[in-house]
Amino acid sequence: MSELLEASNEEVALETLHEMGCTDGLPVVIPTEERVERLIIATGLDPDMVLGELGPGMGIATVEKVAVAAVMAGCIPDYMPIVIAAVKAVADPRFDLTEVQATTHCTAPLIIVNGPARFECGPVASGFGALGPGHRANASIGRALRLCLINIGGGKPGVSDMALLGHPGKFTYCLAEDEEASPFPPMHTSLGFDAADSAVTVLGCEAPHSVIYSDNADDPEDAEKLLHVLSIGLANIATNNAILASGTALVVLGPKHASVLERANMNRESVQKRLWELTHLPTADHNRYAGQFSRDFSDETYSAFAEPKNILVMVAGGSGLYSMVMPNWGGAAHANSAVSVEVDNNFFCEVPGLADGTRQL
Amino acid sequence: MRDGIKIAKSGMPVVSLVTEDFWPQGDFVAQSVGMPTVPRVQLPHPVAGTGEARMQEIANNIVEEIVDRFAA
Repeated sequence: MSELLEASNEEVALETLHEMGCTDGLPVVIPTEERVERLIIATGLDPDMVLGELGPGMGIATVEKVAVAAVMAGCIPDYMPIVIAAVKAVADPRFDLTEVQATTHCTAPLIIVNGPARFECGPVASGFGALGPGHRANASIGRALRLCLINIGGGKPGVSDMALLGHPGKFTYCLAEDEEASPFPPMHTSLGFDAADSAVTVLGCEAPHSVIYSDNADDPEDAEKLLHVLSIGLANIATNNAILASGTALVVLGPKHASVLERANMNRESVQKRLWELTHLPTADHNRYAGQFSRDFSDETYSAFAEPKNILVMVAGGSGLYSMVMPNWGGAAHANSAVSVEVDNNFFCEVPGLADGTRQL
Repeated sequence: MRDGIKIAKSGMPVVSLVTEDFWPQGDFVAQSVGMPTVPRVQLPHPVAGTGEARMQEIANNIVEEIVDRFAA
């Protein structure tokens, strides 16, 4: 059972939460017992059920504590299965959460949603401006995870979260794949799920870097040129992936760029393989710039990523000239791997009083 | 859209070409600059980058509609 605080009104409660360092700096919805209870009921789970342990504070993420964060973030009951799956994902040892929270790098967990939960537990936006602002589910689901990392995981800036600057995605970082606009099967099917499953994939990564490419269907090198500029964004020598030669990065293809690859008869696997080849970098550059991270590569080139599967590829955003890449940190025991967890809404319950579609908090 | 509206406001006949994905934005801009009925014709999205043959096909498909809008 979480500790209960008392306040004379919600304004006082908000100031108290700010003073206690329990917020992300923005106003939060006050997590009253009634509001928290409503989200717990929606999960259909025991409030004391343990979802995982969150470092570096090693706080125990129970359903109740996660519901508190979700209320504060502005979540409605529908979003809870995604929030819970995201918490389970970051608690997975392969995510290296303790180190991800503590590093001086600016990594933040990006939540990618696939499958029917995009609609059933959202809608989670995947088109124009999917990374914000303006999409309620994306904003509040990502924010709920961040508030879990602050209040359960103990990630406080300058104390235990030592990111030198951080990035705006540390407030919230969540989108869905636009499976309908993608020429490829949904990303989660490449990660071991069936298309009918719902899954979240969480990757600790940098802020999105825009990649411009003006495509031309008459150019026989169209796809290769696109892949080349994406590879530069993914692993230029200023990225951790190029310097540490590890980690997992993400390519978010805009639908138009995805169609360039489709025209070249490529699938996700061949795209990943070619990007992996193109992120083989000159060893001389590594030797010149890697400093204390210098490694003894024997060949003239080295690979920024261990395997093609370390370059995730998804489709989202509006259709135009831009895609995005998210390099990542690549440190810690598991090189802060991407982790996928099924979104389980089998236990989801209708909340009394909300059956008419009312979505009040 | 803004170019089309500027031309229209200068007194010259104009038809704006707007792709499907940007149609709502076209409505918004037309509304916000006070010319909600500025003539426009919808194109499929995308047009740029789709190649010479496809662009020719799109042009062939919409040319009559453009002429009609001018004649209206």
